[in-house]
Amino acid sequence: MKKIIFLLYFLFLLAFTFFSYFFIDSNLIYLKNLYTGFAFSNRLVVVLIYSFAALIFFCFYLIFLEFFKKKIFTRKDFKIILILTIVGLVFSYPAILSYDIFNYIATSKIAFFYHENPYILMPIQFTNDPLLLFTHAANKTALYAPFWILLTGLPYLIGFGNFVLTLLSFKILNVIFYLLTILLIYRISKNFYNTAIFAFNPLVIIETIVSNHNDIVMMFFALLAVLLAQKNKYLTAYLFLLLSIFIKFSTIFLIPVLVYMLYSKIKQNSLSMEKIYLMLTFSMGIIFLLSPLREEMYPWYAVWFLTFACLLRNKLVLVITSTLSLGLLFRYLPYMYLGTYDFPTPLLRIIFTAIPVAIGLIYYWYKFKRA
Amino acid sequence: MALKTKLKVNKVIKFIKNIQILFVLYVLLFTIQPSFAASSYVLSYPESMPGSFFYKIDILQEKLFKYWYFGSFGQFFCNLKESDKYLVQSKTLFEYNQYLLAYDALKKSDQYFINTLPFLLKARNESKEISENREILRQAAQKHIEVLSKLQKEVPQSFTWVPEKAKPTNLNLRDTINKSIKIREKYL
Repeated sequence: MKKIIFLLYFLFLLAFTFFSYFFIDSNLIYLKNLYTGFAFSNRLVVVLIYSFAALIFFCFYLIFLEFFKKKIFTRKDFKIILILTIVGLVFSYPAILSYDIFNYIATSKIAFFYHENPYILMPIQFTNDPLLLFTHAANKTALYAPFWILLTGLPYLIGFGNFVLTLLSFKILNVIFYLLTILLIYRISKNFYNTAIFAFNPLVIIETIVSNHNDIVMMFFALLAVLLAQKNKYLTAYLFLLLSIFIKFSTIFLIPVLVYMLYSKIKQNSLSMEKIYLMLTFSMGIIFLLSPLREEMYPWYAVWFLTFACLLRNKLVLVITSTLSLGLLFRYLPYMYLGTYDFPTPLLRIIFTAIPVAIGLIYYWYKFKRA
Repeated sequence: MALKTKLKVNKVIKFIKNIQILFVLYVLLFTIQPSFAASSYVLSYPESMPGSFFYKIDILQEKLFKYWYFGSFGQFFCNLKESDKYLVQSKTLFEYNQYLLAYDALKKSDQYFINTLPFLLKARNESKEISENREILRQAAQKHIEVLSKLQKEVPQSFTWVPEKAKPTNLNLRDTINKSIKIREKYL
């Protein structure tokens, strides 16, 4: 039974990787042999495949959670699923849902190849650079904090100027931080069920291993800071929180929680970690919900609160976070079909995000509250 | 009856004439745009002036920027930015008859302007495409010359600055401005 599930899961992941190559940009000269233009000329088919894939992914997630909860799956099974997930998706084309990885590479190239300050110069100022053909935010200076740019030096240099190798190096960097974050969650929660809630969440997997967003790196350092604070190592905890902030700034909103932890220690008040995790989840959740004020609610921002939400033993939180994850995966559908960000895409995005959450809440109310 | 028709024709002619005037006005209003500058290059607003507390902060910022704007393109933009800043400062000070300070600011602007091109050449040696930045430099030179040419007509030929308890300084203002123009003309 287990073997069949693992085999089906791996085949599904390989199929998803294959599907990702339908999205290759026509200007991506390095992968021109793989370009088909399928995703841009068969929008309805692509939307149907993607929706179906998201639902299957979510079904696997629910199966995994149920099996870990009932302890049918063991430590070994956890490792197998993790390896299958990484191997199955690490070679996927990263720009199905977002082009951010090209921006990471372009910013890194400015710093480590051209030896210029990416906070002053935009990629577009390096005319004739082939990256400009497919980098979408080429008219912006570096969007991320300096520690992230410093970290990207490693995959950029490992790429030896070869684009495909650089792309893979960036993916491996994310995979490393994905594994490290999972390790931390396990060390904090000390059970595979809570770890699986985060590790096998389809949104976390797609945004981290496929789309390669750096939020996982930021959250690893934030989680490490929380773990160190929990062990009363406040100085190093603040140092790691600072590193996290210097990746993407958002974790600056965790400072009050860590200050509260220190205050409780000084006052020798008993500290409920469940309460702390709830505060951390809310801090990042509120920032996630407020993100449209700055730009828009990007699905990968959910990694901010999912990192802490998985530590809570609360059914309602699990229902909301998992259904919201599915809703956020569906958030991509309107643009994928219409190919525009204009009306009705913004409205449809809200509807597509909200529907799974609403269904989840109704289910929760019927199953748990009424019982 | 014929008179009535003639009156009607006259009315139509008058109407057409009015429309013609309106059309000409419309064309004048919407198609002829006033031209304020010959170069599309935009100079910054004047920042804090010597003597102000914020000027000291500006000087510190200027020193820090030399490190922040690392790289050949970075240094090019840093020098151009500083050259612009001191040119605008010099212009403002000239307008307020603060000739000695204006003179010093113009000298600084010149020096920063001279520093720009070597960094572009360095960038070219590093295989960076410099044609766009070379064009920026050309437009900047054009704009600077435009400002300096105006100033040259407004300032006195020379000025003797007599400080307290020190020797007076003779400033050849027009010659200095002329020199500054010549520096920039090389970059056109």
